[in-house]
Amino acid sequence: MSDTDAHRILVPVGDSDTLRDTVSYAVERASAAAPNRPVEFHFVVAAETQSVDPDAPEELGSAREQLERVALWVEEDADSADGATDAADGPPDRFTVVTDVVGTDRYLFSPGDYADALLEYAAETGIDRIVVDPEYNPAGTASMLRSMSVELARGDVPVETAPDDRPAQGAVLARAASLSKYLSVFVVSYLFYMSLSAWKPLDFLTGFVTASIVSVVLAPVVANRSAPLGLTLRRLARLAVYAPYLVKEIAVANLQVAYVVLHPDMPIDPEVVQFRAAVWGDGAVTTLANSITLTPGTLTVNVSERSFDIHSLTADSREDLFDGGLERAVRFVFYGRASARIPTPRERDDAGEGRDG
Amino acid sequence: MVEFETALLAIAAAFVLFAVVALYRVYAGPTNHDRVIAVNVAGTNTVIAITLVAAAYQESTFLDVALVYALLNFLLSIAFSKFNVERGGVL
Amino acid sequence: MTPAEWGIVALALAGAFFGGVAAVGLVRLPDVYTRSHAASKSDTLGAILTVAAAALALQSGLSTAKSVFLLLFMFITNPTAAHAVARAAQDQGIEPWTADEGDD
Repeated sequence: MSDTDAHRILVPVGDSDTLRDTVSYAVERASAAAPNRPVEFHFVVAAETQSVDPDAPEELGSAREQLERVALWVEEDADSADGATDAADGPPDRFTVVTDVVGTDRYLFSPGDYADALLEYAAETGIDRIVVDPEYNPAGTASMLRSMSVELARGDVPVETAPDDRPAQGAVLARAASLSKYLSVFVVSYLFYMSLSAWKPLDFLTGFVTASIVSVVLAPVVANRSAPLGLTLRRLARLAVYAPYLVKEIAVANLQVAYVVLHPDMPIDPEVVQFRAAVWGDGAVTTLANSITLTPGTLTVNVSERSFDIHSLTADSREDLFDGGLERAVRFVFYGRASARIPTPRERDDAGEGRDG
Repeated sequence: MVEFETALLAIAAAFVLFAVVALYRVYAGPTNHDRVIAVNVAGTNTVIAITLVAAAYQESTFLDVALVYALLNFLLSIAFSKFNVERGGVL
Repeated sequence: MTPAEWGIVALALAGAFFGGVAAVGLVRLPDVYTRSHAASKSDTLGAILTVAAAALALQSGLSTAKSVFLLLFMFITNPTAAHAVARAAQDQGIEPWTADEGDD
């Protein structure tokens, strides 16, 4: 379309198995579509939910790393694609690589949100073509929603999906799992089976069969995005520190409930309150929600993104909730000691009275 | 003096009694959610009673029953909630 | 009974106390949300204490391992189940009971 300047290709970058192939495809397409014009590759990472966390800059760091890696791949491919014809020219100058991170200023949730952020970027920079990684799925759990390429096609830029060269997979609903995931699910379920069995020879056989079935069926749906091993271990260690605190809170909670329930007048003053928790990610939100349910007079009724609807039994329990002790503890488990020191929900003004107040 | 086994069985009986008390809520309602919560509590109490009986008789196979019962108990609540929420998913 | 056995029985009795609180709360509390409190908190603690007592009472290692699994499992699923039901209730527009509303 634009004959004045460079041909611009946008490639959304995410954590996927096929990213390498997608980059090659984009380079190939660029050579074919604009053989003699300069080409600008825009590699863009849409910040995922955790990246918005001001206390976890390492998430953005990993995005930068990924972008650097992609830039290297482009050089490699450019060498092999062009270098074959115009011999020792070195990397062709007509390829420029632009990298960027979008969506840091807002909360991206559904594939639609990601598509909006990317299309906005495309409009700003005058993108001519978008090449989508077949496995690009930044929203993580969105296998049942409309795919990224469909969402991106809403814009007026041609969108194509890079071909998937890997062996065909049967599963449509869930994303295909990597071999290591199948193996780890298999090992965990085998160990679990054996730990509950009587260690007779037949048990090893039945356990093997059962674990195979479990791993084949369930590997695609477990832990769509897994944290690196070191981080997981650190979190587990901090979880061990958190557990006694939680047990203490649970004990207090139960004595309180026991008092309220057994008191002849039943001094309860229930109310639904809302607050925005400063935790991100499925694991942290789940942990916080379950901890709230288990501790003094509070019950998580609904969670949407970061906003918690909490049903509280007494006024005291609401005060405790807004003092943010549990929230700090969960932040400690998931983000480390430094992030544990933040203002309480009340100070942040994230504490809201309920609709029934 | 009380036998250890007898004491454990007596506590198991207490949990069965609590399960029966919870059944009042299943009968009285008023909403289906109350009933599910009550069935859940009754189920948890059943699991506890089975575990105590297993401990009293040193019978480890009972524990398998308890484990499966706990699983089904959880599935009951989840399935109920799942099919009661219009958007089609709680979890 | 040996002192160890007394300890186990005491643990189970404490569990039974909270189990009783859950049952009484279920009957006395006014609406589905408050009843979820009783079901999730008291019943979970009652279950944990009692199953822990059973784990100590069981002599074979395998049985103890099984009861520890059971314990962890109930620890995670009970609050989740209560949350799921409470959320379903909220989704269907069941209004929470408030103190100034009913004295029945």
